Amino acid sequence: MGLATFLERTWSGITGLVRPRSAASLFRLADQYRHEGRYEDAAELITEGLRVSPNIAVGHLLDAYLHVVFREMPAAKASFRRVLALDPYHPRALFGLARIALEEGDIEGCRPFLDRAIQYFPDFPEAKALQEMVATWTAPAAGVSSSIGAISTERLRLPPGARDLVLTHADGTLVFAQGGEERQKQLALHMTQVYRIASATLARAGLGALRRGVVEGASETSFLRSDGGIILGVTLAREVEVGAGLVQVGRLWTDLNIKV
Amino acid sequence: MAEEQTPADSTPPGAPIAARPSRAQAFRETLNELIRLDGVRGGLIVTPDGLVITSELPPRFPVEALAALAATLGRELELGSSRLERGAFRTALFSADDGTVFVGGSPVGYVTLVADRNVNNEGVRTALGRAVDRLRGTWRTPATA
Repeated sequence: MGLATFLERTWSGITGLVRPRSAASLFRLADQYRHEGRYEDAAELITEGLRVSPNIAVGHLLDAYLHVVFREMPAAKASFRRVLALDPYHPRALFGLARIALEEGDIEGCRPFLDRAIQYFPDFPEAKALQEMVATWTAPAAGVSSSIGAISTERLRLPPGARDLVLTHADGTLVFAQGGEERQKQLALHMTQVYRIASATLARAGLGALRRGVVEGASETSFLRSDGGIILGVTLAREVEVGAGLVQVGRLWTDLNIKV
Repeated sequence: MAEEQTPADSTPPGAPIAARPSRAQAFRETLNELIRLDGVRGGLIVTPDGLVITSELPPRFPVEALAALAATLGRELELGSSRLERGAFRTALFSADDGTVFVGGSPVGYVTLVADRNVNNEGVRTALGRAVDRLRGTWRTPATA
């Protein structure tokens, strides 16, 4: 290597070290880190990139993604909205806001975001999957009495330690639940959402209609059973094995003698 | 669209998902162990924002659609467990006439497995629980690229 080449390469190396990186290169690297699961490193680069160029939509989009990963939903929502302020039809930002609306239980608020995303970008399988899922959802009918009839809890063979017994229609209308009014509302809403999303997932996987579910938390395990019209849920101790829990829920199902 | 494009928005929705190195390798190994279990047809790991970290599903399987639903389901399970004070969400299974879907929750993301109807539920759930614990470990101990 000649002296001139050596000096040129050395100088290039030195200037490369001190030259500020462009926002685009920072965002590109941040996205790479995000794919690698290096979220903290990615967050630093995004902050730096947005400081350099605050009006780049992709920077705010990446920022929103990381807030979602860190479960910082209000901040994620604000970042997705910043993307839309720069690019009103950005499909990924619209999709992000749709998903947040969905997890907030705002089905009516979710639909327009999905519609706009697909209108602008018809080949968007993720948005289409959610759009198809929410298409048939309706809000629970308030104050509607059950068509199942009175539930006599006295004749139920409730397993020892069982709690949060809840029975709803598939649209979320509460039939019966243990606990106070607020707890009942939360139970019905959560169980219906899980039922609906899990049903859509099973259908998309080509497996058919949801019949049984088991959700294990750190301290308790919840069991779910459905015939498509009615959903029954109950929570048992975490130690209960899946098979035993499903048998107990099956017994409750029989006791309720559910006829939709 | 944005003035400067990066893969985050230059990749059109529905485009093939490129494989990435580093910590993703640990995720791939975790998933590969799980899909070797009897009766498990395949699976994927998706982050809460819907990014597919890795997937091993049968050909022609709707990966993007399943990922979107899995991330939405995982998030609902996570939120519900927290709101109803049932402790952190760990695993779930949902069975239908023709098969079962398993979901494992971790801060990194959600592991989703698609299995046959006659799969050993308890066995897969136990293995998934162990996998979820490993993923929690990767979250606490940032890996190097």
